[in-house]
Amino acid sequence: MRKTEIPVSENLGRGHLACAGCGAAVGMRLTLKALGEKTVMVFPASCWSIIPGFWPYSSLRIPVVHAGFVTGGSTASGVRAALDIRGDHEALVAVWAGDGGTFDIGIQALSGAAERNEDFIYICNDNEGYMNTGTQRSSATPLFAWTTTTPVTRPNENPKKDMMAIMADHHIPYAATATIAYPEDLLRKMEKAKRIRGTRFIHLLSPCPPGWRIPSERTIQVSRLAVRCRVFPLYEIENGISYTIQEQSRAVPVKEYLKLQGRFSHLTDQEIDRIQERVDDEWQHLLRKARC
Amino acid sequence: MAKQIHFNKASEMPDVSTSLGDMDWNKTGAWRTQRPFYEDKTPPCSVACPVGNDIAGFIQKIAQGDVEGAWNLVKEENPFPGVCGRVCFHPCESKCNRGRYDEPISIHGLERFVSDFASSLGRKIKKGSGARKEKVAVIGSGPAGLSCAYHLTRLHYEVTVFESSSFTGGMLRIGIPSYRLPKEVLDREISEIETLGVEIRTGIPLGEDLGLDDLRDYQAVFIATGAHRSRGLHIPGEKGRAVLSGLDLLRQINLGKHVRLGDKIAIIGGGNTAIDVARSVIRLGKRATLLYRRSREEMPAFEDEVMEALEEGVKIRYLVNPIRIGQIDGLKRLECLRMELGEKDESGRRRPVPIAGSNFFIEADSVVIAAGEEIEVSFLPRGMERRDGLVLTERDGSTGVKGIFAGGDLTSSQRTVAHAIGSGKKAALAIDCYLRGKDSEEAIRQILIGEGPAISIFRYLHPDERPRSPHVVTFEELNMDYFEPSKRRREPRNPIKKRIRGFGEVTSTFPEGIALEEAERCFSCGRCNECENCYVFCPDASILKREGIFSRQVDYDFCKGCGICFFECPRGAISLQEEAR
Ligand SMILES: Cc1cc2nc3c(=O)[nH]c(=O)nc-3n(C[C@H](O)[C@H](O)[C@H](O)COP(=O)(O)OP(=O)(O)OC[C@H]3O[C@@H](n4cnc5c(N)ncnc54)[C@H](O)[C@@H]3O)c2cc1C
Ligand SMILES: Cc1ncc(C[n+]2csc(CCOP(=O)(O)OP(=O)(O)O)c2C)c(N)n1
Ligand code: SF4
Ligand code: SF4
Ligand code: SF4
Ligand SMILES: [Mg+2]
Repeated sequence: MRKTEIPVSENLGRGHLACAGCGAAVGMRLTLKALGEKTVMVFPASCWSIIPGFWPYSSLRIPVVHAGFVTGGSTASGVRAALDIRGDHEALVAVWAGDGGTFDIGIQALSGAAERNEDFIYICNDNEGYMNTGTQRSSATPLFAWTTTTPVTRPNENPKKDMMAIMADHHIPYAATATIAYPEDLLRKMEKAKRIRGTRFIHLLSPCPPGWRIPSERTIQVSRLAVRCRVFPLYEIENGISYTIQEQSRAVPVKEYLKLQGRFSHLTDQEIDRIQERVDDEWQHLLRKARC
Repeated sequence: MAKQIHFNKASEMPDVSTSLGDMDWNKTGAWRTQRPFYEDKTPPCSVACPVGNDIAGFIQKIAQGDVEGAWNLVKEENPFPGVCGRVCFHPCESKCNRGRYDEPISIHGLERFVSDFASSLGRKIKKGSGARKEKVAVIGSGPAGLSCAYHLTRLHYEVTVFESSSFTGGMLRIGIPSYRLPKEVLDREISEIETLGVEIRTGIPLGEDLGLDDLRDYQAVFIATGAHRSRGLHIPGEKGRAVLSGLDLLRQINLGKHVRLGDKIAIIGGGNTAIDVARSVIRLGKRATLLYRRSREEMPAFEDEVMEALEEGVKIRYLVNPIRIGQIDGLKRLECLRMELGEKDESGRRRPVPIAGSNFFIEADSVVIAAGEEIEVSFLPRGMERRDGLVLTERDGSTGVKGIFAGGDLTSSQRTVAHAIGSGKKAALAIDCYLRGKDSEEAIRQILIGEGPAISIFRYLHPDERPRSPHVVTFEELNMDYFEPSKRRREPRNPIKKRIRGFGEVTSTFPEGIALEEAERCFSCGRCNECENCYVFCPDASILKREGIFSRQVDYDFCKGCGICFFECPRGAISLQEEAR
């Protein structure tokens, strides 16, 4: 096995309030290693509104603007404009929003900004639910998953919204999926996004130990399996049309991924088969897009 | 650091709620219920190595491209890597964790590579300085004796080896044929031992020219005279003309003597000696048939060698037991009985039982008996206890006679080069303890590899080195997500036609690139090789780097005990322990 090299600079300090084994903490730590300290980050309400610490403290070594839940896209547009007016074209503006803040409540602000091709990186930290407020369902919650608002007697009936396709249809210069088990891929995509101008969208999958009902030490493993079983393929879209897939050598059945997580422990074999079918269909769909 | 911020008046607060300090005061380590810690453990391969080689250690060095470092590590434990890499039947590989995943690491191939490559670099072992005043005598220059002498010299004793024959190396020279072990390799490794400062005096047999009384100048003696007497079959005719002992024949061939043999050779036996005889006579242009009284499964010879022998044209007849060697028209005529397998015997193998009235005859020009070897006892000191044809020793090699230790084939039914080297090493340690008045049992316990039986003399010499837990890492404790399946590399092998034309080596050493690839397959079970996964994935940045250098230290002020580092370590080099409440 080859050694994974990551930059040594730490822009996430210690003493932060993420749960033990938090995937989003790994994600933030790696992201900031790539984006560097000359980054202004906008945080619409989410777990990461809480994790840095409470006023007057912050464990982040970059400036952060806490923003209203719905306003990721618009606040970042404003921060960018203000910096530009001050002549600071070097500082990078990024948004770090949850899936609730992106797929659901923040989608209009994001869509507006993307349509204007505002110059920032929008990172959707997807933990597949409203985790900060206690694991409610969002439109990023996967099919048949348990959440507190989709109990096992009536699990989530709707498949996960295809946010990447929505962003691709805005024809933004760059959109990519990434997850913490693939740090080199994640760093590369962040660095690539950093070099591009206009709206860049990173869909970052971050397993959540309490919300997904997984032991804290399994976060990385679950992230890895999401990719290997193709629930969450790694790919990039340039200008909304050009797809590149980072194919993995080892594909595993989706069952391997589901069985590690308490939020899927109620699934019947038929339900697992249906999830597998959907995953297979979506994978074929993605392959078709990548081929043309 | 842990700066708390206080505002006494509202006017001291900033107009916009800007953060003014970090969270370093918030010691999240207090959340922890379990504690990760770095703990190197024992890989299963080295537990299975009778020599006590630091296998994971030297393979990692190769993987890092540091063959010289690998050689230094190998030589800490084993003076004979070139020999072992060729003739050891590598029990390490059958315990290798990689075997549970795809195929075991070619440990022997890498050991051989290290020895050959280092010699091509002109690597020379450093001479020890004879700082201790005691002198030790070693009787027998086989692998056991030379290993003991080597390690004693490294422990700063002055050592003299007394060898009865005019050749050094014991069975390595007169038993094992050169198509498996070229004499240059043996000479090279013995001369390294001599360079270190070991004096070898040949032509001095203990018992005839040399009595134990003559060794009064030596404060301790290690006896490793091996097992050189061919066991007889006790059947009529075995003393006749054209009936040879396997070991005698091999000795002559190995020493380059001319041997007079007929064309068709019958070899009685199923052990390594029998196979070596058969393959040797094939190389002299003869036809060889092995007669073995049990079936292939019970054969004590090593599988690979049986395979190679068959490839080379050796015939093996199973379940055949000669009961008389007769003579007919200048030919040898063997009267045999057919056998069948009965109940298991004490060795766990099924006992061969003759089938009554199944007598038949086999004809041959010469008959070779290779039915095993026994020890010579005539020169052994009085008071040395023996049992089942072996000298009895404690596990440290002590014999019960004060100051006299023994090892190798003389003391063990596990007659392999690796066992001999391991027993010599253990005796060296025991002699050091004896001469210093230390408890050798205790010393051995400290440096056992896993639960033993092999020991690490490196740890004896360097007690302050990174400690290692005796826990043997299982396959389940590794994280296979980090390893892609890959094929075991095989040593290049000469074509059969070329092989049987002479005594040139059958296989050749890995080229450097292949060795590197094979070394990279090793999981490094339980031994941190600084892949830094733990550092990469810690959500709390609690795996410390100091000035950019990985430290193998956890910052317990902040580590929340999630266990990611423990789980993502590919090789089980981090342990997790519940925190005291
Ligand atoms: C044909 C054959 C093939 C083998 N192949 C393999 C193999 O492939 N792999 C493997 O692991 N093992 C193999 N073995 C076994 C292996 O060679 C022995 O286990 C090993 O050599 C034992 O080492 P030793 O030092 O105890 O004894 P030896 O190697 O037998 O050395 C003993 C030495 O003591 C000397 N000596 C004897 N009596 C006296 C005396 N009175 N005074 C002074 N010196 C004396 C002898 O001349 C000899 O040099 C083979 C054995 C044989 C016979
Ligand atoms: C307008 C508004 N509604 C509700 C909330 C309460 N709230 C804060 S965080 C959060 C959940 C956010 O979910 P998501 O965006 O997925 O981020 P996560 O917490 O999962 O990281 C909610 C509902 C709020 N802050 N503002
Ligand atoms: S993988 Fe390497 S360390 Fe592990 S048992 Fe095999 S040779 Fe030894
Ligand atoms: S990954 Fe970090 S926080 Fe988690 S147990 Fe290891 S050192 Fe502690
Ligand atoms: S993850 Fe890598 S660096 Fe960390 S302890 Fe294990 S082997 Fe060493
Ligand atoms: Mg969420």
